[in-house]
Amino acid sequence: MEVQWSLFAEMFAHTFTLWWVIIPAIFLGLIVGAIPGFSAANTIIILLPMTLAMDPEVGLVFMVALYASSRMGAGIPAILVNIPGTAGAAATPLDGYPMTKAGRGQQALAISFVSSIAGGLLTTLLALLAMPWLSQVAYYLHSVEMIVVMLFGISLIATIAARDTLKGLIAGFFGLMIGSIGADMVYATPRGTFGFLELYDKVPLIPALVGLFAVSEAFAIIERQSILTERGRNLMKDSGWSETIEGVRIALSKWWHIIWTSILGLVIGVVPGAGASIASFVAYQQSKTFSKTPELYGTGHVEGLIAPESANNGVTSGTLIPLLVIGIPGGATAAIMLVVLQYHGVTMGPDLFMTDPNLAYGPFTAMAVTYALMIFTIMPLARYMPRITVVSTTYMAPLIISFTLVGAFVPREYMFDMSLALVFGVIGYIARKTGYHVAAILIGVILGPLLERYFLIAMQMSQGDIMVLFSSDLGNVLWAGLFFSIGLPYFMDYRRKRRKAAEE
Amino acid sequence: MNEPEKTEKKHLGGDLVIPVAALAFTLYYFSTIIDSPWTAQVSAVFIGSILIFLILIFIVKSVVSLRRGDADLGMDSLLNPRSFILKRLALLGLTLGYVFLVDYGGFTLTTFGFLTLAMLLLSGGRNKRFILILSGGLALGGYLLFILAFDTRFPDGPFEQLMERIL
Repeated sequence: MEVQWSLFAEMFAHTFTLWWVIIPAIFLGLIVGAIPGFSAANTIIILLPMTLAMDPEVGLVFMVALYASSRMGAGIPAILVNIPGTAGAAATPLDGYPMTKAGRGQQALAISFVSSIAGGLLTTLLALLAMPWLSQVAYYLHSVEMIVVMLFGISLIATIAARDTLKGLIAGFFGLMIGSIGADMVYATPRGTFGFLELYDKVPLIPALVGLFAVSEAFAIIERQSILTERGRNLMKDSGWSETIEGVRIALSKWWHIIWTSILGLVIGVVPGAGASIASFVAYQQSKTFSKTPELYGTGHVEGLIAPESANNGVTSGTLIPLLVIGIPGGATAAIMLVVLQYHGVTMGPDLFMTDPNLAYGPFTAMAVTYALMIFTIMPLARYMPRITVVSTTYMAPLIISFTLVGAFVPREYMFDMSLALVFGVIGYIARKTGYHVAAILIGVILGPLLERYFLIAMQMSQGDIMVLFSSDLGNVLWAGLFFSIGLPYFMDYRRKRRKAAEE
Repeated sequence: MNEPEKTEKKHLGGDLVIPVAALAFTLYYFSTIIDSPWTAQVSAVFIGSILIFLILIFIVKSVVSLRRGDADLGMDSLLNPRSFILKRLALLGLTLGYVFLVDYGGFTLTTFGFLTLAMLLLSGGRNKRFILILSGGLALGGYLLFILAFDTRFPDGPFEQLMERIL
């Protein structure tokens, strides 16, 4: 396969003429991304009658633009009020929120936007050029390799909750157990459901996200008059455009960090089911592992904010690759896009690149143009959005509780999901107060069903032989990588201590 | 000579809540799969066994700290600041009420009621007029944005039904 430059140039020129679809989709995406419970997937479902009525190409451009901008929007509440708009932004508050509390909300947003846009734009262009080759990654990952990838995600839990690895692991595995609730895949036997029919179809993610992050945070912030510290409040009052410009400058100065973490996101995005949440945590952990100042992570460190934001935008283009090349969507939004395109009679797969290259490559040019147009939103959004954090918690906490709880109702329209979100809120509150990372519980809940699926496939194929987990060469390489990844932070820590001791 | 520094005791009572809850849930989960086919058991037994192992390590570590006198079973990490306990419980009660009543009262009216009461609770009864206006504005804004503009299916109640008839 070779790169068709003239075709790409023509397509970019054509996509720019669709600005009238892209710009409204960007604003809609930023809004829905910022509201927990209103992911791009939900919004595309809500707007399905509209997208189905559109020309397939226009509909696809609209969906792609909404998807890309919602990813950036999800970082806004994660940074400002410690509530990720979607699960993909769950690693963003780890360093974004401490920056806000210190009165550097403007800087944090500017850094997040630059990382999102630069990471998204770069990976989209890379995906466009390398799509024929990148798509091959998906062919090599079978159940065994996927289990190791999942365990990789779980191992991150311990290193993310670095203050107490054991607590991090307990939280992560507790999340995995919660993620195992529901009917089993073969015989539909109910397991751990407490008799609730609503839990037969697994624990829904939105109530878990809303409860663990939003409700628990709302109960925690009432102990303070404001989200901001006293110093942060003063800083916020005195800050002007210079803070935003400084944020942009800081982000651009970390260009190499943006590049490698977004490429990491792209590669993870190609793996069906892995998604933005795993990518952002992997990027965060890798960034911390190779940092010269890992002890600063979690305290409002710029690189700890850049890594997840670049990675989760890198995933956006990655999830489209298996969708377009082998017809397997890489995530929920990609799955909905597949449904819409199938409705229009479009068949995904390698043939699409021969029969309709405009449609096959179109999502990537649309995404690149979306990211390019989003550049103009950086300055005003970063400048004025942080004002929300000076609002007193007296008004903020009830608002967060009511609107996010109702957001938990939206995806399935079960009243039960609101109660479930409240239960997760209580678990999250206890976890926060006692030093168990809520993000670790959430990633466990996300990975639980995926891990079970691949574990079961591997066990069935090997007729119950656990050694199947070490039967593949690629799997073994991944195992080695996993152990290396777990051991490396300890080794780096040991080296740092030795060096410090030598200096003293 | 300097006096030996007094080290503060760790309060492990609060730290044990999550492990104990996780252990109880895992045992309950196991009880629900005891007679199930192996396909329903294998993954959960794998994960649950690791979780129980981790919890046991944590408990052993805690017992060692308690016996050494480095820690006690106080719940300070969970309950502090104690001056907020009543407020927090009252807010939890209001939230439970909201979750229960929103099915009957609908989004707009129940949200208005919840916001008003919760804000009055947290402000200690100050700024009543401002809170009433703010709560009304937010509930109505939510109705306009989510239900009217986005056509989102929020819990339906008398206000939403009335507006549907009028519009």
